[in-house]
Amino acid sequence: MTGPRISPLLITLAVAIVAIIVNLPLIGALLTSFKTDGAIVNQPLGLPLPMTLEHYENVLYRAGYDFPLFFRNSAAIAFGTVVLVTLISVPAAYAIVRLKLGGQWLLNAVAAMRLLPAMFFVLPFFVMLSTAGLLDSIWAMIIVDTFLNLPIAMVILARGVADVPIEIEEAAKIDGASAYRILTSVILPLLAPSIAAAALITFLFTWNDYIFAIIVTTSEARTVTVGVSQFVTSYGILWGDVSAGVMLSVVIPIMFAVFGQRYLVSGLASGSVKG
Amino acid sequence: MVNGKFGKRLLRSGAAAAMFSIAMQAHAQDVTNVRMVLWPGPEGDAMQKVVDTYNKGQGTEDGINVEMVLLSRDDTFAKEATEIATGSSNVDIYFTATYNVGFFARGLQSIDDIGLDTSLYFPTAIDGLTIDGALYGLPLDVSNHFLYYRSDLMEELLGSEEQIAEFRDISEKVLGEARDPKAPEEWDTDDYLAAAAYFSRAENEDSPTRYGTVLQAKTSPFNITLWDDLLWGLGGSWTAEDGSANLHSPEAERSMEIFRTIYEERYTSPDSAQWEYGETNAALQAGSAAFALQWSAAYAELTDPERSPEVYDKIAVAPMPGDPHSTHVHTLAISLNKESQNKEAAKTWMAYLATPEAMDAYAKAGGIPSQPAVLKDNTDINPAFDAIAAHVQQYGYSIPIFPGTFEAMTALTEELSGGWVGVTDIDAALEQANSRLEALLER
Amino acid sequence: MTSTTTGALARWVLSAPLLIFLAVFAVFPLILGSWISATDRSILSTTIDFVGLSNYFQTLSDPKFWSAVRFTALFTLITTIATLVFGFLLALLVNRKFPGKTVLLTVLILPIMVAPALMGIMFRLVLNADIGLVPAVLNRFGLDLYLFSPHFVVNLLVVLEVLQWTPFTFLILYAGLQALPQDVFEAAAIDGSSAWRTTFQITVPLMVPAFFVAGFLRAVDALRTFDVIFVLTGGGPGTLTSTLSIYIYKKAFIEGSFGLASAAAMLVLLMVVPLIPLVIRRVTTQVGDVQ
Repeated sequence: MTGPRISPLLITLAVAIVAIIVNLPLIGALLTSFKTDGAIVNQPLGLPLPMTLEHYENVLYRAGYDFPLFFRNSAAIAFGTVVLVTLISVPAAYAIVRLKLGGQWLLNAVAAMRLLPAMFFVLPFFVMLSTAGLLDSIWAMIIVDTFLNLPIAMVILARGVADVPIEIEEAAKIDGASAYRILTSVILPLLAPSIAAAALITFLFTWNDYIFAIIVTTSEARTVTVGVSQFVTSYGILWGDVSAGVMLSVVIPIMFAVFGQRYLVSGLASGSVKG
Repeated sequence: MVNGKFGKRLLRSGAAAAMFSIAMQAHAQDVTNVRMVLWPGPEGDAMQKVVDTYNKGQGTEDGINVEMVLLSRDDTFAKEATEIATGSSNVDIYFTATYNVGFFARGLQSIDDIGLDTSLYFPTAIDGLTIDGALYGLPLDVSNHFLYYRSDLMEELLGSEEQIAEFRDISEKVLGEARDPKAPEEWDTDDYLAAAAYFSRAENEDSPTRYGTVLQAKTSPFNITLWDDLLWGLGGSWTAEDGSANLHSPEAERSMEIFRTIYEERYTSPDSAQWEYGETNAALQAGSAAFALQWSAAYAELTDPERSPEVYDKIAVAPMPGDPHSTHVHTLAISLNKESQNKEAAKTWMAYLATPEAMDAYAKAGGIPSQPAVLKDNTDINPAFDAIAAHVQQYGYSIPIFPGTFEAMTALTEELSGGWVGVTDIDAALEQANSRLEALLER
Repeated sequence: MTSTTTGALARWVLSAPLLIFLAVFAVFPLILGSWISATDRSILSTTIDFVGLSNYFQTLSDPKFWSAVRFTALFTLITTIATLVFGFLLALLVNRKFPGKTVLLTVLILPIMVAPALMGIMFRLVLNADIGLVPAVLNRFGLDLYLFSPHFVVNLLVVLEVLQWTPFTFLILYAGLQALPQDVFEAAAIDGSSAWRTTFQITVPLMVPAFFVAGFLRAVDALRTFDVIFVLTGGGPGTLTSTLSIYIYKKAFIEGSFGLASAAAMLVLLMVVPLIPLVIRRVTTQVGDVQ
């Protein structure tokens, strides 16, 4: 793609500046998480010297806060939600966009689900899940998070299906391929980047869900995000502990994003499908 | 997705967890599990230690295992509201307080029959948890406010003729009458305002601190209680003698004016429009304010050399400014869920918690129990315990307790916080607040 | 575009999982929620009575509801447009070869990975006048901003929202840029079209569907904004920064009036639903159709 000639190094610099600005809260959390309590209140600009791991110890080993369990829960919930959302949304997106299922009302309806404030569903979901005996279980959170993220995944995938050149599909059709065959062997490979994007976003939003995690979980299925918020105490905020918790809470999403992004980029680069 | 190994590992850890929980159940067959909601922080940490002691000792005899569930403050009440609204038996013991026990009462069971010796407690704690003659909560922590001030700065001011003269000039300007500085123990609300002006660079270039004081003006229901202290300190109240809403009183107007003057004249940071407990501590710890109205729980942090290295030895406490000195008091509590499946076990645990021995352990673990005798016994652990016991008994008042108390705290903050920071007109704000309070009282 | 005949059954089979999930977990809660909105269900009352539309009328006549509607609408509009513009500019900037690209791409999207509830707390820390990183840096440069003062706080909330979510729109728009047909640009380059003309006359029109996807995803979440604002301002001073979600949260959890909260939420849905088909139609447009 053409553009004004700018030195590549200058672009690196510009992007780096933007990256620093948008990440100021995380940079602050990183520095704070290694500072002693005294340094937190007295040296906002200073580097964390002397460095302390106290806050990380507090987060990981403090009595009453089972962070290893929270991590397992968050991972299982996010992973399960990604799988369920993908299984539901990929075929449905194809059915709606290409097989013209019921015009677009279905997609409109799914998209509208994300519009209702979470508070609307809190009580109904609580009643349903407690009737089903699912409260405070990983399954309950997978259901709730699937509900919350389906609209997003559907919109991204609907766009992705619309981007697949119709000629490729028609060629397959002339060869006598069934709709299922076309979906699995023609559409799916071309849709991979969109699936990766939808999965990545679903993973992140699931990992970060808060209000439903508060209401639906009590102890067994508690997530990392809720766990970290425990360091916001009745009296103020344990800045160091919260910061350490925030840093720990982003480790897994970052790993997921690094892998997901490589897949995204390579999928896009290798494909050149759109030309 | 991601990779196969991750999935397998996940399945394996799931299976391990399942086996573990089966093993736990086998072990726990004749033990009743009592689930109790609490919030994190000093109360949760202290309670955890008491719970651990109980589970290992007395609990094994009683056949009871207590499990604590921690949530942060706003979330605790949101979750409990949901549980109660749906009649859930998910938890056995709810976390409540004098300001919201009436709100939750529909889902609670009276604990009159656990044999509580009410004479051990501050009367305000028992009164605040009693509804229509029945006790609905077991009192835990008592909370009040102190005036935290920098003793070094006050000493300097009171010992210097030059500074006293400067103080007189500034108070003349702010109050319309020249006043001598007094020791914080003797402040009324006007002394508070004058001192806030004196220690602010906006009024006094040579002030050692940038701001005199710190307002907690964020729209959080707890912040109204600090404003209430001035209102009571001027002789006012939320209500008139007959119990009707009385927020258009001259006292209410004056306490609004004091907050607004402090805010608009920059005797507090302009950012304090969104500040609460944590930021107030930060301002004192960073040495940017000379004094502040703040919760008693802050004492431990502000006087800790590690957490407040610059000021820990210079922080002193005084009664809240006013004539009479008046501090808001509320008591945190635990209450029994009416739908609980384990009521007897829960009551046994609550009865244990009510003993002075258990409350003594709670105090030693960092709680602030509402039994004055226990506080006095433990002043060597927390020097503030003496002051807390004294202030609660001498200066303590309670805002009116009714089912809508917490809603009223929220509504009043919502209406008045705009007036504190100059967004809305004081009279209009008070009028609005008064009519909302009236509606809640009448409901 | 031809409609398939083989797809008649297949489209039902393929969308069965979605339809089943919706029936159980969307339709049912929706019905239950609507029922709650027509009752006086409240934590204070032991009985639940049907009250018809009175919760709706009560909400519609509450000035605080309308001020929340105004604030939320403006907040959504401004932040959505701003994140789209900045996200697109950033995507154009990144859409070249430069050293460190892979690493910087990952760093750029880090803010999406922090839960908004925790992000709010981190903002309180880094923006604190006494102990925060940002005011400390600003002071070094002789700047003294009162970020949380009533005159500035709305701007602050907008800036923070844009900072956290520009990486999100960037991600989607960057992916959209990658997916554009390259031959068009090659043709433009051969014609000697200037960079700016290429951008505005070719790239932007081709990107319209991607803009709608990113804009839609941002807008629906901005409409539900809760965590960051609630943590930072609690909706105040007064109700200056009260969003609809904060309004509804207070109705449900502080007043304990689930009936009123549900009615207000339904009203939000009713107000916004007419806009959905307009957006979704764009989302599913074929690339070729736009030109």
